[in-house]
Amino acid sequence: MAQKTIKSEFFKGIWSDNPVTRQLLGLCSVLAVSNAVINGVAMGLAVTFVLVFSSLIVSVIRKIVPNQVRIASFIVIIATFVTIADRVLAAYFPQLSKAMGPYVPLIVVNCIILGRAEAFASKNKVGRSIIDALGMSCGYILTLLLMGFIRELLGNRSILGYQILGKWFEPWVVMLLPPGAFIMLGLIIALFNLIENKIKEKQKLR
Amino acid sequence: MNLLVIFISAVLINNFVFYYFLGLCPYLGVSRKIGPSISMGMAVTFVLSLTAVASWMINHWILLPYGLDYLQIVSFILVIAALVQLVEMFIRKVSPPLYQAMGIYLPLITTNCVIMGLALLAALKNYNFLETVIFGVSAGLGFTLAIVLMAAIREQLDLADVPRPLRGAAIALITAGIISLAFMGFSGIIK
Amino acid sequence: MSLATRMIAVLTSVGLISGSFLAIVGQITKEKILFNKKHEIEMAALKVVPGAHSVKMIYENRDFAIFEDRDEAGHLVGYAIQAAGTGFQDKIVLEVGLDPTLSKVLALTIIEQKETPGLGAKITDEASFLRFWRNRDCRQELSLRKPPVSDPASLAPNEVNAITGATISSQAVLNIVNEAIKKVKQLQSEGKLLSKE
Repeated sequence: MAQKTIKSEFFKGIWSDNPVTRQLLGLCSVLAVSNAVINGVAMGLAVTFVLVFSSLIVSVIRKIVPNQVRIASFIVIIATFVTIADRVLAAYFPQLSKAMGPYVPLIVVNCIILGRAEAFASKNKVGRSIIDALGMSCGYILTLLLMGFIRELLGNRSILGYQILGKWFEPWVVMLLPPGAFIMLGLIIALFNLIENKIKEKQKLR
Repeated sequence: MNLLVIFISAVLINNFVFYYFLGLCPYLGVSRKIGPSISMGMAVTFVLSLTAVASWMINHWILLPYGLDYLQIVSFILVIAALVQLVEMFIRKVSPPLYQAMGIYLPLITTNCVIMGLALLAALKNYNFLETVIFGVSAGLGFTLAIVLMAAIREQLDLADVPRPLRGAAIALITAGIISLAFMGFSGIIK
Repeated sequence: MSLATRMIAVLTSVGLISGSFLAIVGQITKEKILFNKKHEIEMAALKVVPGAHSVKMIYENRDFAIFEDRDEAGHLVGYAIQAAGTGFQDKIVLEVGLDPTLSKVLALTIIEQKETPGLGAKITDEASFLRFWRNRDCRQELSLRKPPVSDPASLAPNEVNAITGATISSQAVLNIVNEAIKKVKQLQSEGKLLSKE
């Protein structure tokens, strides 16, 4: 039983409570950095790092922090980890850091992080909070990768910089531009809704 | 001249919503009716202008002179939170009708990426004081434009028969994509 | 402990701990980040002046910098000018190499741009844009050749090629370069283009 709950705690982040497609959180970073798979990977790892560590700390100190200063302390903790991620990227991966511009520091106002700290980590034990954070990160990364994959393939004929489609395919430049991001995310959310509806109908039939 | 470029670019070409993808949460949440959208836009413009001033002062008078740039993110977010609190208290005291109109949106604004995005972008683009202020005001106007446009379309969209999986966020995002496509027509108007 | 003291104690300790953490991370990464920034610009300054071996910044203003390029023997082989301006979409930052007499553009490189991928973004492309910027005569203003030609040799000495379908981006780059050259010539006539030894 216990194992099952841990499992469902993890998988809810990927499907039923997916932060991007179901909760519509953190959209700005998903739209902004998904024009190439590599940016998506870097952004996903940065968010995972911040989410896991801030969930950990928030969960550890949840009983010491008085309710009134809860949000303020969470914000400081999150901002600390975001700064660490930002500085490390800027120091050791300058190209990536440049490509992502202000979106790494903007993780600090990404609603996924504060949302999870507030709704989950501040109420649950350390272990469960980390599982929850990992699940949410995975859901976020998978959506980001799916977007990056489609946009880079259609917009640039490549994946991770390697040419996949031949010259016969005229690249859809719009995919790399903001409109492509909006429309693609809209379609992905619609697809997820469609699958979810189908699943629910089947369950009803049973 | 430079200020005009910043203004046009922040309102039309590099609109915060359609180009930088900032402020999407209220954009998707609030923009169902034109009235509240205008209030929200005004509230955001107001806070953006104040943030522009405050973040510039912190960056240029405290962080940069003392080499504390690694505290940028922490100090920006704390200043924004404090600022929004102050504005809320001030408006509630001074003008209850105004508080009625835009007060409820103020707490939402703290975690709104438009505000933080402005502070970070202005620092990144290395704007001077006047440029930062203009950037803040015009970013707010651009946001208002975006959110009102979207509300106008969504009022009509409510009457349309949208396929079920597309309802809600999906169609809102696709609409945003099409408006963003239209806004691309503004690129290159500054030469 | 009363609530107020607890609140203050918690906030202070959270602030102190994260502050000291950040100070450590800031110290560790500081030099590396500064080095990255400087390195990129200096590499570009070396690239745009053929035969250059070392560069030194001799003038700096907002979004505008002049570097002096010297060869191994220490002779002045040219200047690299970093300049910026508005492109089709957003800011374009570039570096252009000039010969010591400021009469010839040696080469051009783009440092930062957000032009349309596949169209305006070709300004970073060697084959379709940058190679047409080698050895241009800049005693008078440079001008844009459109429709573009395929062979650099068929351009007039003070002409550069436009990119098909991205005239505005090409024109923006040209304007930034012309503006920068004008500024450098101005500075030279004021005698400010001397290395501070």
